[in-house]
Amino acid sequence: MRLEEAAALIENGSTIGVGGFGVSGHPMALLSQLARQAARELTLLGIVNGNDADLLAGAGCLRRLETSAVALEEFGLAPNFRRAVESGSISLGEYTETTMMDRLLAASMGLSFFPTRVLRGSDVPKVNLDIREIMCPYTGEMYHVVPPARPQWALLHAPAADPYGNVLYPHADPLVEFDRLLSRAADQIIVTVEKIVSTETVESASREVLVPAFKTAAVVEVPFGAHPCAFGGWYDRDVAHLRHYVEAGRTPEGFKRYLDQFILGVDGHADYLHQVGGLSHLMSLRLNGMVGL
Amino acid sequence: MSAAYTIEELMAVVIARDLKDGEKGLTGLASGDRTGVLAVGIPLVAMGLAQHMHAPNLTIFYGGVIVNPRLEDIRTRFDSGAGLHRLRAMARVTPEYTFGLTRRGEIDFGFSTGAQIDRYGNSNSTCLGPYESPQARLVGSVLQTEHFSQCGREYVVMDHRQRSFVNRVDFITGAGYLDSAHAREHAGLHASGPRFVVTELAVLGFNAATKRMQLESLHPGVGVGLVQERTGFALLVPDTIPITPPPTDEELAILRHRVNPYGHLLPREVSS
Repeated sequence: MRLEEAAALIENGSTIGVGGFGVSGHPMALLSQLARQAARELTLLGIVNGNDADLLAGAGCLRRLETSAVALEEFGLAPNFRRAVESGSISLGEYTETTMMDRLLAASMGLSFFPTRVLRGSDVPKVNLDIREIMCPYTGEMYHVVPPARPQWALLHAPAADPYGNVLYPHADPLVEFDRLLSRAADQIIVTVEKIVSTETVESASREVLVPAFKTAAVVEVPFGAHPCAFGGWYDRDVAHLRHYVEAGRTPEGFKRYLDQFILGVDGHADYLHQVGGLSHLMSLRLNGMVGL
Repeated sequence: MSAAYTIEELMAVVIARDLKDGEKGLTGLASGDRTGVLAVGIPLVAMGLAQHMHAPNLTIFYGGVIVNPRLEDIRTRFDSGAGLHRLRAMARVTPEYTFGLTRRGEIDFGFSTGAQIDRYGNSNSTCLGPYESPQARLVGSVLQTEHFSQCGREYVVMDHRQRSFVNRVDFITGAGYLDSAHAREHAGLHASGPRFVVTELAVLGFNAATKRMQLESLHPGVGVGLVQERTGFALLVPDTIPITPPPTDEELAILRHRVNPYGHLLPREVSS
């Protein structure tokens, strides 16, 4: 499937979960395509978001964000997220890292709530009215409870998949478990991959399959599909590009220029890769993780 | 007189001396900036130093998922991307594994930094100003709420700035002692709360009776006036204030040659 067709599956107003963590491993090419296709009124559910949420906020795609963080790590505060929250243009569901995991876990098991002790004393339950209290019927202890988080779509980027959407993730770092959790909680999955491989390749490495195909609605081969994020052992983050992104995001005008140059004004992902520096630049980010695929 | 040391080395040594053999400690993920040095660099060096000095059975949970990383192998900038991927370690575990342990009460201590901390040790990484109409929206909770409510005790590592040491945080992301001596118990918090705050100027603990922030020790060459000036509320100041014992030659040698040999966890320049 083409990236344009995959992005078109996501209707305006949909609830999505986006794989990755901070400025690592997000399906950025797919999110950029959503921005190009003027996706609107999306609700994003995440554990620890980063430039994924910031780009969608800056491109006007988001209505609501439920997460523990929008963290650009060493690149500082997320400029578009910050502006959107300070101006009230997106609504926020305030959670913490484990309570977002609990919400996805609840959805993955079909539960209607999940209990937690971690919020005691904090202001998080005071500003989030979806967080309620119940009493444990065994001990009488009071717990906060959080509602399930069930995205209609989990959007993931992975090293490889077969044409059916069995997602192969060799040598996955533990944070990739967040992607697996999102896939368990979601109704359907759209996955972009560095490389589409044969089903025989998947079967010979079935211990390294992150997600089996039955929920996968679309697989798209998108080399450097996480750029400018780091992507596992495959390529490092594009530090210069991310610095430029944050600098451009300081003003709405600056970010509009960024969007025009790299997102809205490019002719698809191939043109994007050319705009960000082309093959020689991208190869300088490559690590040696593709061995064996 | 010990060899010259950096202030970050002193901060790490202060924490290392407080850690016990057999304990388990939790840090977040690193970033290359100042927040990364405070929240992860200093804590990793402190735990690594403790392992070499007196706590060989201490277990490090770096980023929640990397168990006992080979700190001495870190030769480049390290982060949640390629740096994390390359890092050698004793084990890699899932976030569910470590955050499960944390919620079971089996993580003895954790480390945090934040945009604000107040006189009761509450910390804020969520927003400046009122939540509904913030002057600045910050990163968010990430795992800070869990750190303060679930880790056995919490070490807070901060740059000492008046705007960061406030009378009352704008948002309680991590619950310290809330607003009074017994407020943690009343809120149902079983973990003991912030152990101390270490800055480039001093070690700040919490008074046993009132749970208000109190000067524990001044780093060599720092006067109480400077600490108070950089603190946005009245610190409790005991009659006699010890000087933070500087790193010993042995601590410095281990720290520089065996824990942080390539200087990517802490800055290496010795500042005056």
